[in-house]
Amino acid sequence: MPEDRMELPQGTLDLLILKTLALEPRHGWAISERLQQVSLEVVQIRQGTLYPALQRLERRGWIKARWGTSENNRRAKYYELTTAGRKQLAAEKDAWRKLTAAVAQILETA
Amino acid sequence: MLNDLFFRLRSLFRRGEVESELDDELRFHLERQVQRLIDSGLPREEAMRRARLDSGGLEQQKEDCRDSRGTRFLETLLQDLRFAFRMLCKNPSFTVVAGLTLALGIGANTAIFSVIDSVLLSPLPYSEPQQLIATKQNDSLQNVIDIRRQTHTLSQGGGVNIEALDYTGGTEPVQILAAYVDAGLFETLGVPPMLGRIITPEEDVSGGPRNIVVSYHFWQNFLSSDPHALGKTIPLSGNNYAVIGIMPAGFALPREHADVFVSLWVAYPEAAPYRGVHFMRTYWRLKSGMTLSQAQAELSTIDGRLAQQYPDTERDRETLLVPLHQWLTGDVRPALLVLFGAVGLVLLIACANFAGLLMARAIARQKEFVIRASLGAGRSRLIGQALTESGILAIIGGAAGLLLAKWGTGFLVSLKPPELERFSGIQMDAHVFLFVFGISLLTGAVFGLMPAWSAARADVAESLKEGARGSTAGPFSQVLRQLLVTAEFALALILLVGAGLLIKGFSRLRSVNPGFNPTNVMTMHLQLPATRYAEIPSQTEFRRQVLASLNSLPGVDAAMVTDIPLGGNYVGHSFVIDGRPPVPVGAEPETQTLSVMGDYFRVMQIPIRAGRGFTAMDREGQPLVAVVNEEMVRKFFPHENPIGARIDWSRREGPHQWMTIIGVAQNVKHSGLNQPVDPAVYAPFPQSDEAWRRWMTLAIRTPGASTELIEDVKKQVWNVDSQIPVSEVHSMEDLMGVSLAQQRFNMLLLGLFAALALILAAVGIYGMMAYRVGQRMHEIGIYIALGAQRRDVLRLVLYDGAKLAFFGIAMGIAGAIALTRVMTSLLFEVKPTDPETFAVVAILLAIVGLVACYVPTRRAMRVDPVVALRYE
Repeated sequence: MPEDRMELPQGTLDLLILKTLALEPRHGWAISERLQQVSLEVVQIRQGTLYPALQRLERRGWIKARWGTSENNRRAKYYELTTAGRKQLAAEKDAWRKLTAAVAQILETA
Repeated sequence: MLNDLFFRLRSLFRRGEVESELDDELRFHLERQVQRLIDSGLPREEAMRRARLDSGGLEQQKEDCRDSRGTRFLETLLQDLRFAFRMLCKNPSFTVVAGLTLALGIGANTAIFSVIDSVLLSPLPYSEPQQLIATKQNDSLQNVIDIRRQTHTLSQGGGVNIEALDYTGGTEPVQILAAYVDAGLFETLGVPPMLGRIITPEEDVSGGPRNIVVSYHFWQNFLSSDPHALGKTIPLSGNNYAVIGIMPAGFALPREHADVFVSLWVAYPEAAPYRGVHFMRTYWRLKSGMTLSQAQAELSTIDGRLAQQYPDTERDRETLLVPLHQWLTGDVRPALLVLFGAVGLVLLIACANFAGLLMARAIARQKEFVIRASLGAGRSRLIGQALTESGILAIIGGAAGLLLAKWGTGFLVSLKPPELERFSGIQMDAHVFLFVFGISLLTGAVFGLMPAWSAARADVAESLKEGARGSTAGPFSQVLRQLLVTAEFALALILLVGAGLLIKGFSRLRSVNPGFNPTNVMTMHLQLPATRYAEIPSQTEFRRQVLASLNSLPGVDAAMVTDIPLGGNYVGHSFVIDGRPPVPVGAEPETQTLSVMGDYFRVMQIPIRAGRGFTAMDREGQPLVAVVNEEMVRKFFPHENPIGARIDWSRREGPHQWMTIIGVAQNVKHSGLNQPVDPAVYAPFPQSDEAWRRWMTLAIRTPGASTELIEDVKKQVWNVDSQIPVSEVHSMEDLMGVSLAQQRFNMLLLGLFAALALILAAVGIYGMMAYRVGQRMHEIGIYIALGAQRRDVLRLVLYDGAKLAFFGIAMGIAGAIALTRVMTSLLFEVKPTDPETFAVVAILLAIVGLVACYVPTRRAMRVDPVVALRYE
């Protein structure tokens, strides 16, 4: 297990999940795989964090779940973005950019 | 929003489906994870181990997912409720004992407090009742008028005197009670009439119109609730009155019962101008902003002025003001407060017991909670479970308590101590119930939390190990339980001492010799109307005829007296003794005066101690005679023979009419069994010169129970005069009962509470001992295996409980000595620290404590060492 695994700041997990689902519907395991891959193994999501987050997003109506068949022919639960989810993603992305820009600015000048 | 709701509803109602989906999903994830690890080169076993470790436990994850569904709270609650019910049903004895404990505490408290609330705390039904004041002494109308004229601290004031009148407008003549009032009284009380108007100052004068205000009750019963009753004529004792007003249903004078209200000036003009005859109860209203002490100070000044102006009659004036509410509740207040204290103690005991029960169970279930914690139950989850269980218990107890409270309030009212009769609207008080219920919920919450708390705190591995050994409870909860049991015993002792003192006082009171024989004596009240019986000879003629025809009934022995013992009335006179140095006017000694006719002493079986009783020869035209009681002799003839001495009422005018004392009668408890005996003078009716003594009470002794004779007696009276109402028919034994009623009420209630406390304390110590013995089985088994005798085991275990009981009793005695003082006014001839009562109660409690300890101890003695050592 890589030692440089990072704790995600509060609230960012939701954003990352939404972003991951923006391209195509995925099941839970694929979401965590994808995040790990794209972040070059820095972001690793524990099951214990991922699934409660999915439940939460579904409850808010940003994603919805349906049952499908996985690559290896197993029944799997696929999550996809709803319209509200897309709007939420855009808003959160924007907020995140502003925040990181601000933080970077402070770190460079101060 | 809608999505949210739909999601939550689905989670709730399709829970099975949602759960299995979650399970599938998580398993799928785990499989993929394992697969990935295998692909990266790990052996299968190792891959699975890693994946599991990494995921943090399937069940834990599910819990987290359930949390984020947002239905967590409801779901948990339902689950906890189901579980709690299952646990309570599995331990029915625990459930019943705990529920009953609470029910008794809640029920008794609510009932008692409801009564206290209506009697002591509710405002009186008058406008601005806190301004109302009563005077301790009666006064005359003339003085009331003068005070009213001079005062600056009182805004209103008025007086009332109750007089029995005959209402002859119906089929039978009926005696009703008329309030002779002055116009100021209605203004003082400030209650407007329901219909019509009240008596105005203009018509409240000598020779004013014969107008009458009637009570709601009178309007209902005698005017058939006629809405057009105003202006109707009512015949009362030979005079006609016109109805001008009807009072509303809830209206009553503060202490007097009255059916109708008439002006004193109009109805009894002879009495109104008399300053010296203080026969009116007076009520006053404070001006707003004035205090009672200001009014009292001012009244003292006015009293002084009146005394100077009218030294003959007003020399010793001392008007004492009391807030009306205090004056009305004065008699019953100490009793209710003591009961309130008692019931508070019962609630404390009940809560202590409930707490003890919960703690015992908590300790017994420690292991269960630790296991659940180790399986992943969060702290909040454990606490929630514990709270649900004690909450359910509290609710069960509360529901039973509610029933008990309703029933108990009814019971209290049905016991009817005479002082409570005035307060008709007593009913269970919802606020009180909620308050008491809240207290028991809190108890449940605090002590129900203990196991969850310690489980959540405990080191799981350590606790499990310890649990496997059969743990003894932690030292803290052990000490707490012992304290609770000790406190229960102390509180129970205080209650038992209180009850014991009342019981002793009551039995003293019961054995008081009333001075006469009440068995098979019936009494009734007759009142002659002033219009036809204004003079003594006509009254005597009526009395003689009535007695003659009553005594002609077979087996009947009848006599009459003005006021019967224990009936609540007597006429007092100041008197002088012939040949003694003169006493200043107004400072003469007082005595009860009772006019009698027929052989009253024989009928009542009042023994004559010296001289003789009256005979038929002691009549008008014969030498005036009197019989005095022993108290009179003790007080005024301590060193001389009273027989032959002469006395007379003190007179302002005219020569003395000396009565010669011819006999001494035994003392009679005239004013109540718990009241001291006053000096009394008996004199024959026909020799009296007081024509206003137009009333009489028949005393009729019969061979057997006298109640069948009531109609015969009435018929005989109506044969003599068909217009004379017969009222207040009582047996002498009933009157004795009334005299005992308040004491009986106190005794019954406090006795009931004490019994309750005793039971609760016994259950408390039994529960603790049974639990302790269960815990020490192992230890006892070893003792026995090592050769300990039963006796040794008995000593070992019994000592454990007995020391708590004895310690509690000792503390209770100290507490009782401090507290029973408040009961002094309730006790009859018993000191509040009566050593006998203390001793008996302490022994009783000790025995109960020992028995409660002995039952579990016996179980310990029968322990089979082999079984005990295997006990885990």
